[in-house]
Parts: sequence; structure tokens; C-alpha cells
Amino acid sequence: MHAPATAYATSTPAGSGDAALTDLGIVELGRMLRAGATSSLAITRACLDRIAAHDGTLASFITVTVDTALAQARRADAELAAGLDRGPFHGIPYALKDNVDTAGILSSSHSKIFADRIPPESAAVAQRLEQAGGVLIGKTATFEFAIGGPSWDLPWPPARNPWNRDYLPGGSSSGSGAAVGARFVPAAIGTDTGGSIRWPAAMCGITGLKPTYGRVSRRGVHPNTYSLDHCGPMTRSAADCAVMLSACAGHDPRDPGSIDEAVPDYAAALSGSVAGLRIGLVRHWYEEDATAEVVAAVDEAADVLRGLGAHVEIVTLDPLRDYVDAKTTISSVELFTVHERDLRTRPRDFSKRLRGRVLPGALIRGEDYVQAIRWRTELTSRMFAAFRRFDLFATAGWLAPADPADPDGVDFFQKRQLVTMPFSLTGLPALNLPCGFSAGGLPLSLQLAGRPFDEATVLRAGDAYQRATDWHLATPVLA
Amino acid sequence: MTATVPARPATREEIAVLARNAGLDLPADLFDELVAAYAGIEPMLMRLRRGRDRADEPAHVFDPRKFMPVED
Amino acid sequence: MAGALHEITVAEAGRRFRAGSLSPVELTQAYLARIDALDHALDSFITLTPERALAEAREAEALFAKGVDKGPMQGIPYGLKDIYDTAGLLTTAHSRLLAEHIPSEDSTVQAKLRAGGGVLLGKQATWEFAIGGPSFDLPWPPARNPWDRTKSPLGSSSGAGAAIAAGFCAAATGSDTGGSIRMPAAACGIAGLKPTYGLVSRRGVQPNSYSFDHCGPMAWTVEDCALMLGVMAGHDPRDPGSLPLPAIDYAAALAAPVKGLRVGVVRHWYEDELDAAPGVIAAMDESIAVLRSLGCAVSEVRLPSLRAFTDSKMPLTAGEIFTLHEHDLRTRPRDFGRSARYRVMVGGLLRAEDYVQAMRARTELTAQVFAAMSEVDVLLTAGSAGPAPDLLPDEPPSYFGVAAPSLTSQFNLTGQPALALCNGFDAAGLPLGLQLAGRPGEDALVLRLGHAFERATAFRARRPVLAPLAQCTAAQ
Repeated sequence: MHAPATAYATSTPAGSGDAALTDLGIVELGRMLRAGATSSLAITRACLDRIAAHDGTLASFITVTVDTALAQARRADAELAAGLDRGPFHGIPYALKDNVDTAGILSSSHSKIFADRIPPESAAVAQRLEQAGGVLIGKTATFEFAIGGPSWDLPWPPARNPWNRDYLPGGSSSGSGAAVGARFVPAAIGTDTGGSIRWPAAMCGITGLKPTYGRVSRRGVHPNTYSLDHCGPMTRSAADCAVMLSACAGHDPRDPGSIDEAVPDYAAALSGSVAGLRIGLVRHWYEEDATAEVVAAVDEAADVLRGLGAHVEIVTLDPLRDYVDAKTTISSVELFTVHERDLRTRPRDFSKRLRGRVLPGALIRGEDYVQAIRWRTELTSRMFAAFRRFDLFATAGWLAPADPADPDGVDFFQKRQLVTMPFSLTGLPALNLPCGFSAGGLPLSLQLAGRPFDEATVLRAGDAYQRATDWHLATPVLA
Repeated sequence: MTATVPARPATREEIAVLARNAGLDLPADLFDELVAAYAGIEPMLMRLRRGRDRADEPAHVFDPRKFMPVED
Repeated sequence: MAGALHEITVAEAGRRFRAGSLSPVELTQAYLARIDALDHALDSFITLTPERALAEAREAEALFAKGVDKGPMQGIPYGLKDIYDTAGLLTTAHSRLLAEHIPSEDSTVQAKLRAGGGVLLGKQATWEFAIGGPSFDLPWPPARNPWDRTKSPLGSSSGAGAAIAAGFCAAATGSDTGGSIRMPAAACGIAGLKPTYGLVSRRGVQPNSYSFDHCGPMAWTVEDCALMLGVMAGHDPRDPGSLPLPAIDYAAALAAPVKGLRVGVVRHWYEDELDAAPGVIAAMDESIAVLRSLGCAVSEVRLPSLRAFTDSKMPLTAGEIFTLHEHDLRTRPRDFGRSARYRVMVGGLLRAEDYVQAMRARTELTAQVFAAMSEVDVLLTAGSAGPAPDLLPDEPPSYFGVAAPSLTSQFNLTGQPALALCNGFDAAGLPLGLQLAGRPGEDALVLRLGHAFERATAFRARRPVLAPLAQCTAAQ
């Protein structure tokens, strides 16, 4: 067992009153709900109370949907009491990133442009979670349109890191990461184009899964980069990610990127064993550029997996820079295409950071874009060829702990290589999970990625790791 | 929307900048060819920018399953 | 079938091979003799492979003798457009840049035709890289139209169209990025199918525009296209555009009735938006009457304008083709023919936003076409706005879709199967064509309707007269 840095972990014992409910994950809450040991309403109230007490300093929510939450919780309790069980997500509170449309509820994408936008229809992912009996607690902060942030020149401030509010939670699913990390909700939906689920998961000490491209519908989710956008679960454990993914995955003919592939029972795949799994450790992506603490923590995590019976060997893939170049070129172009009209007519209504990231897309030539797409196919084919020898890839979840919240700080895009981008470009399922803490008490993260549509193996390995370690159980102290 | 974006076709000088960005360092006769050819395609480009709905995706779909290794 | 041996169809040759009344060697010799006598006036072949053809014909003959049957292409002499890679055999793409290019591996389609016992006669003329032409500034002249050698066979599968109409081969492969199978099929009075995108592998075929490129069969009859398609089709994981579509016996599927099929005529495309020759409109009206007499329910449908399709298609093509040739354009631009250079180089000026906006327009247009196809099974429109034009160099060079929008590339945008076939002749005796387009994956249905149309009309009985060409000199 690898103990978390206890000075920063004050996990409350489970089951000792409502405050403790917020410490529990989806699986335990579901067990208690079905045992009659608690109610969805009690869990929901515990979440709402904790948000009311602490979100003033964290700014993880843009909208808290108190009335919707209480009504959905009461309905879940009534249904469960009547024997109507919608499955393991029934009665579970969750949050949605604010670029996910919710019928009748502000869906701002954290932008002045959409500051009053109330869509008539919910996004597919929101509909599925509602049908699974989930309880919507609210809409979380993001970078503006999931790209321009952290920004201090928008109607809402950027979210802060629950482990230290002077630090940032990463992004762009910053509010979702902060809210789950702060134990405001056991689950949230994030979106990930270049790492926007996994980066905040890494910074906030939680577990976040970017599923395979095409696994979860993006209909009704504001686009960032059409050909790279993913939705996925952010929770406190791989086991909880499995439950949430089962609730929201599946083919949607109204999302052109959606792929018709059967959805397995992910929770059932969690055998707890990684014995015999062949894991390729992509060390050259992090060994030079990551902080020494990250290198040590990821190497140590690899040893844990070895100790559990996995065959971990070092593998060399293309340089990180190549994936980042191709991904950034594709993204810049598609982002500009999404926002071109507003950028031409009302550029000052966007944040400075968004303009800085999106405007250059206007200057990129068609050839560059097509070359980047061709490059994508080459990089993908070469990465996938390594699946002949490996079942999973492991690497760092991020190259450093969280950055300080400084409006004048260097843009993270310039600061360091994004180790999440290779699996964005190649569309593979990739899971970030906690694997240690920095000396300053900030979480560090391991990244695991598997074959297309093999989320089950990725989650199984993540779950096995979490059965052997307790980094994911560490809880921040909210002052 | 009747107005095109941009509102007028590119000048020779502007096309020279585009060609320079494309790495096309052309002798005069070939540059003339390029200017004439661009006059053919440019109106199409101007008509294409028409403020589509943000959710309207381009017609390419990335299917990662297609890149799994092939056993020969 | 009373015609000369070179007029035999793939279907009939197959029957006679199997009945023992014709040998693949005999048929191959007949084609080689005819090519030798006449192709100097038509320039449909770039490379002839007579020894190889005779060897393959003898191989096929031996297989028949042993009772081994590899399918409908066994013993059939065919041509390959010169953008299809052939191991150990010159593959030029009709370009000076590849004038000495000898690939080490066969394209997937060639490998399938060879494995199916086909007899390769040679490599056929195209436009340079399947985009630039007609050009007279290349190492090989452009192919000519057998119905009138002063006319163009259109392109870019020009050699294939000309050779089949001239009776130089029973079958040929084409490729179609914006109409390059269907335009020469219509201009040469033959049949040509652009299959569903992803049905036929493009691996080892010189690309033009990745997201529009299709390989397909060209032959004298629709039935022959169906026979050939059965051999060419199939999932190929080495072509990222290839789809795992179900295997279908396309030739067997021709037998099903066409009564009750709902045909939607897209009349505004050829009647209002293009300056169609009067003969074209009359031929289309007669074709509609034929389809009605076959029991089809014919109605008119309105779709987006050809201009909207062309505006989306051309920037995408320009963007994609430039990425293929950028290095050569930057370093040796004068090695391209003027027409290809003109059409390819401009892609360098495109901004990426233009490309993505065109992709978004493509989604929108495709959705509109498929929505209309919930009411009809097949779309019918003209194959071209007029008979074959004079064969003139592309001078000054032109850009596709500027003078008039394309009547074929809308189906490259949507990826649906589209078949061109002969539906009459103009007063000068030049062929006219129509197009039938189906839903994606419904190639068999399109072929079935085309086959029924051919059976109900007498256009397949008419052949170009080539005897005078024997005296013709190769010079223009």
C-alpha cells in the first residue's frame, strides 16, 4: 500500500452522518441507497450544503440547479421505493460542464457570447444521465468555449484548485475537476479535446476518462474541435468511471462522429486483476520534461502494476511534439471555423486568451490542415502497431502539479508539452488517475490508454491499481 | 446573407503573400497562371463562408478502429 | 450474339469460355490485333503488355481445361487506368514526373483482378494525375473518342472509355473523383459505375483527392460492370477509406424485377442549371418513358443546386490534391503539364478555414440528398449536358466548375453509388448518357435498374465505325 501524504488527507469515515455522504463514491452510495441506509434526497442535500459552504472560494459552479436537483432526488427516491431501479447511476448527484446543453437551464460555455443562452433541448449525454436516474446538481465552470482560459476577463471567474485555492484546477473541465475533487459531487461530465478531462483530473486528484472517439455522443455539446471532441466521466475512482460511462455511452445517429459499437457492462469488467496484461510505458514523453516528482511517481506506479502481475516494458512511440503539432494545427483551424462569425463581428466579447488561441487559426492554409490530418493517420497507425506487443500504454497524466492562479502567468500551452494530446489525436480511451502528491501537497497523476473501444481493460487496470493504492481516497481540506 | 467574406477578391499583391505562405516561389509566368487560377476558385470560397450553425460538423469522421494493425 | 469477336461482352465471353466455344487466347489475340491496327489513331493505351497478356490468357485457358473457375474475370482481357500500380510494370499517371515509375507492388484492385484470372492487356491513358487535361504537353498524347476522333473521350479515365468503345478490351478500371468514370462513359457510349465510397479499395492507386476518390468498373454493358464489381469490391484495411460492406453477387442481383422502383428525376440540374443540348433533354424524356414502361414510379425531385455542390467540392479537391504534389510544385513546377499545374497549384493558396467550411457544406448537402432519398429509391439525371466536345488542349487552362458547375461531382460529395450509361445519340451520331444514383451501399439496385434499361433499349447494338482509322496517321 502506498499511503497518501497524510498531512493533506483528512478523509472522514464513511457513514457517520450527512457530511460523510459527500465522501462516498457512486458505487458505495448506490449500495447504501439500495440498502435503505440513505436517500437520494439526503445525498443531494449534503452536496448542496457543501457547495453552499465552500464554492464561494472555488468558483467551480456557474449555476447550481437546486430545485431541479431536489425534484430529481425526490423522484429517484420514489422510483427506488416503488421498485423501479434504473441502474447504478440512479439517485446519484452529478454536475455537467457548462458547454453541455441543458433544456431550460443556462448553458453559457463560460462565455459572454452565451451569457444568456438557455437552450430548448438537452445534450444527448445529459438526456442519458437523466434517463439513468441521475440528479443534476449544476453546471460547472470551464475555459471559455472549452479553450480560452483560465481567463479573468469573463462574466465568471476561473475555478480554483480544491487542494489549494491559490492554484488552478487545470482545464478546460476545470469546474468539473474542482467540484469532484472538492467532494461537492461524486461525478461530473467533462469534455476532452486535447486533455480537458484528464488535465483537471490530474490537478484535482480525481479519476477522469476520455473514452474512445465516438463512444459518447457529443450532440448538444458546444464544439471545440469537431474531429477531436470527446465527452467523458470524471469521478473519484475507476470503478465510478465505469458506472458513469455505462450510463452515458452508446451510438447516437445525430452525432456524425458517433460510432455504432456495443456498450459492455464496464463495472462487470473490473476483475481487480492485471495479471498478464502487457503494458508499454511511454517514458520518453515525460522523463525529460516532467518535474522530478512526476517522474518518480509514475515510475513508482509502474512498479505497483508490475507488482500486481502486469508485464511493464518501456516502449518508444513518436515524440510528444509530433502529436502536439498535428493536434494543435487541426484544433486551431476547426476552432476558428466554429467562431469565425463572432470573431469577425464582435471580437472583444471573447476573452483575450480565447482570441490568442483561436485567431491564428484564420491564417492557417488548407494544405497545413490536410497535412495535419494525414500526419494524424500516420501517427495513429504507428501508435496502434505497438498494440501487437502491448494491451495498454502507461505514461504521466500531466508533466507537473497544478500551476498558481496568476492572471499574468505564462499560458500553459507555451509552458509545457501536453502529454494528454497523443491519445486525443489517436482517439484512444485514456484514463488519468491519482498516483502521488508533490511536496507542496498537490496531486500527481498516472495515465493509462488502451485499444479503441477497449475502455473495459483501461478501467480494469485503473481499478486494480486503486485497489492496491489509496491516492484516490485522499481528500482535500476546504478551509 | 448576401455579402461575401471577404467583400472583394484578393489583389495580385495579396495573392503574392498567400503564395509566399505556401512556399511557392514562382517565376513571373507561373505566378500569372496562379493568379488566373485563383480567380476561378476564389468566388467559391467567398460563397462558402456563410455563418453556419456552430454545431454543424464537417463531413469527416475519425474512426480509430480503422488504424488497428493489419495481420498480413 | 452475331457481332465480331472484339464486340463480345464479359458475360458472353464467360459463357463461351465455359462452353468451350472460345478460348481466352483467341480473344486476347483478337484484341491485340485490333489495338495494333487502330490504337495509333486513338492513343488509348500508354503501355501494352502483349506477352504478359498471352501468358495470362494461356494460364486462364489451362484453368478452364482443368475445370478450375476463379470467377467472372477468368480469361477476360482488361485494361487498367495508368494510375493503378502494377508490380514491375510502368505506372505513369500520364505524367512526366512518373515517366519511369515502376512500382514494386500491385494495387489491391489489380491483385484481385489477377487473382480472379483476368488478362491484363495494358495500362491506359488518363489525364495527368487524373486531373490535368486534355494536354498535349505531356510525354503521351491524350486519348481520342472512337465515335469521332476529333472529339474528346472526356476524362480522366479517358483511355478506358475510348478503349472499351473501340473494342480494344472487354473491361477496364477507372477512377472517379468528380466524374472521371461517368463522364468518359457518357461521352464514349459505354457503362461506368462509381461505386459507393469505400466499396472498392484505392490502395496502390495514385490519389487525387482522398475524400472523393473512388475506383470502379467500366465496360460496354451494365451487366459487365456488375460482373467486374463483384471481383473488385471488398474491404481492405490498408485503405483507410475502405468500409466493411457485405459481399454481394452483383451480377445475380440483376435478375430481380424493377417494377415498382421509385425513381426521382432531378430535372432542374440539367434543364435549368446547365445549358443542356436539346438532344440531351429529348433523350432524358425518352429514358423517363422507358423507365415508366418498365413499371417504375417516376417523379420529379428538387435537390440543392449543382453550384452549391461544386462550390463545396472544388475547394476540398484543391486542398487535398495540393498536399500530394506540393513538394514537386515547389521544386520542379515545369515538369507538370500546364493544365495539371494550373489546377493543382492554386490549392496552395487556400486557407484551412475554407477547407473546413467546405466540409461543413458537404455535410449539409449530403444530408439534404439523403433526406430526399427517403421518398425515392434512385435518382435519375443526365450523364452530361451534351455530346463529347472537340478534343482541344486545355488552353488557356481552365478550372473545373468555374464556367459551369459539375453534373457528376455531387455524387462524389455524397459518396453514393452512381452509374452512367448510354441513353441515345445526337444527330451527329455521338452518344449521350444518363446517370442513376442510389443510396450508399445500394450499388446492386442501381446496376439492376441500369441493366433493365439497357435490355429495354437498343442502344447497345450500335458501335462506332473504326475502319477508316486504319489509314489515319498518329499525328493530329
